[in-house]
Amino acid sequence: SALESQTNRRVMLIILAFIILFHLASAILLFVATIHNAWWVVSPPGREVIYSDLWYTCNSTCYIVENSHSTEAVYLQAVQATIILATILCCVSFFVFMLQLFSIQQGERFIFTAAIQLLASLCVMISASIYTAESKNFHADSLKDGSYGSSYIVAWVSFPMTLISGFMYLVLRKRK
Amino acid sequence: MLRVLALASVVLLGIAPQASQAITVYTSWERHALVGSDVRLSCSFFSWRFVSEDVSFTWRYRPDGSRDSISIAHYAGGEAYTDNKGAFKDRVEFVGNPKRRDGSILIKNLDFSDNGTFTCDAKNPPDIVGRPSSVRLLVFETFLVPIQAGVITGAIIGVVLGLLVLIVVIYYLMRFLVARRVFSLNVSKHGKKKKEGSQQRQIKV
Repeated sequence: SALESQTNRRVMLIILAFIILFHLASAILLFVATIHNAWWVVSPPGREVIYSDLWYTCNSTCYIVENSHSTEAVYLQAVQATIILATILCCVSFFVFMLQLFSIQQGERFIFTAAIQLLASLCVMISASIYTAESKNFHADSLKDGSYGSSYIVAWVSFPMTLISGFMYLVLRKRK
Repeated sequence: MLRVLALASVVLLGIAPQASQAITVYTSWERHALVGSDVRLSCSFFSWRFVSEDVSFTWRYRPDGSRDSISIAHYAGGEAYTDNKGAFKDRVEFVGNPKRRDGSILIKNLDFSDNGTFTCDAKNPPDIVGRPSSVRLLVFETFLVPIQAGVITGAIIGVVLGLLVLIVVIYYLMRFLVARRVFSLNVSKHGKKKKEGSQQRQIKV
């Protein structure tokens, strides 16, 4: 039975490593989605490709996205806020997981970690949804003919990743 | 004696006004208005002297993003002159009361192109040394609270994080309070036991 406990411990460590790596991967994806400038891509024929995201519009030089005193700016700021919140919450849940790993009793679940991670997942979903619904209004008329870029896809991918990560923490119980 | 005094005071009063003092001009900081509406831009000044006959008000307009300003209204010598050539033609009216230090103007039928800075310069001779004061005009389509970049972003993030912290604090507070109540129950039981113990001892004796 010593061998069994050893293999058990190995399995536990592997599961733990997998969960941590999954969590880190979703956090990295969130950072990429927030920072990388490719939510909206416009490729006019014969000219440089224009990349746009929540913060800047760039071809060879970058201009700040027009934040005019208009109602559309509200949606853009909501998208910015929720994607930043999702990133922050994902990092916070990682630290909370590390904390709970050493503080909770054996057999208990990582409730706090799961709650914060699920909240991050909700925020990412809200952000990507609002952007999908209102993206036509975020850009000047010259940029209307474009398509969604890689950062947008990464943002959507991080939604199920954080969701699954959160549910994994709900199911996981602490063992020795 | 009285004559000397009167002469001296007249001479003094004659000398003192030669030193001109500063005039302070007051306007609002920022005004918000809807497209198509009228807005009254107020301008007032403070001066140690009484309002002179030659009091003058000059209003200048500088569009957003431009470096040049253009005069749109002028009051001097008891007469008000308003823009009759430029963008504000027939839209500006001098509605102030200069005798009461009020040099306000009324701009009618606003448009988005009226966004900009309006500067009021008031002079009350001989008090002419003063800094003109500016009021910024913002014209909106609908009356939403003006959204500066990042205000909503910051507000959402702050509120959500604050709520999270509040929930955690309340959770730990509840646990702490419940623990305290359990602790106090133990103490009262211990007290009762002590009393019973002492009674028994008395009976024994």
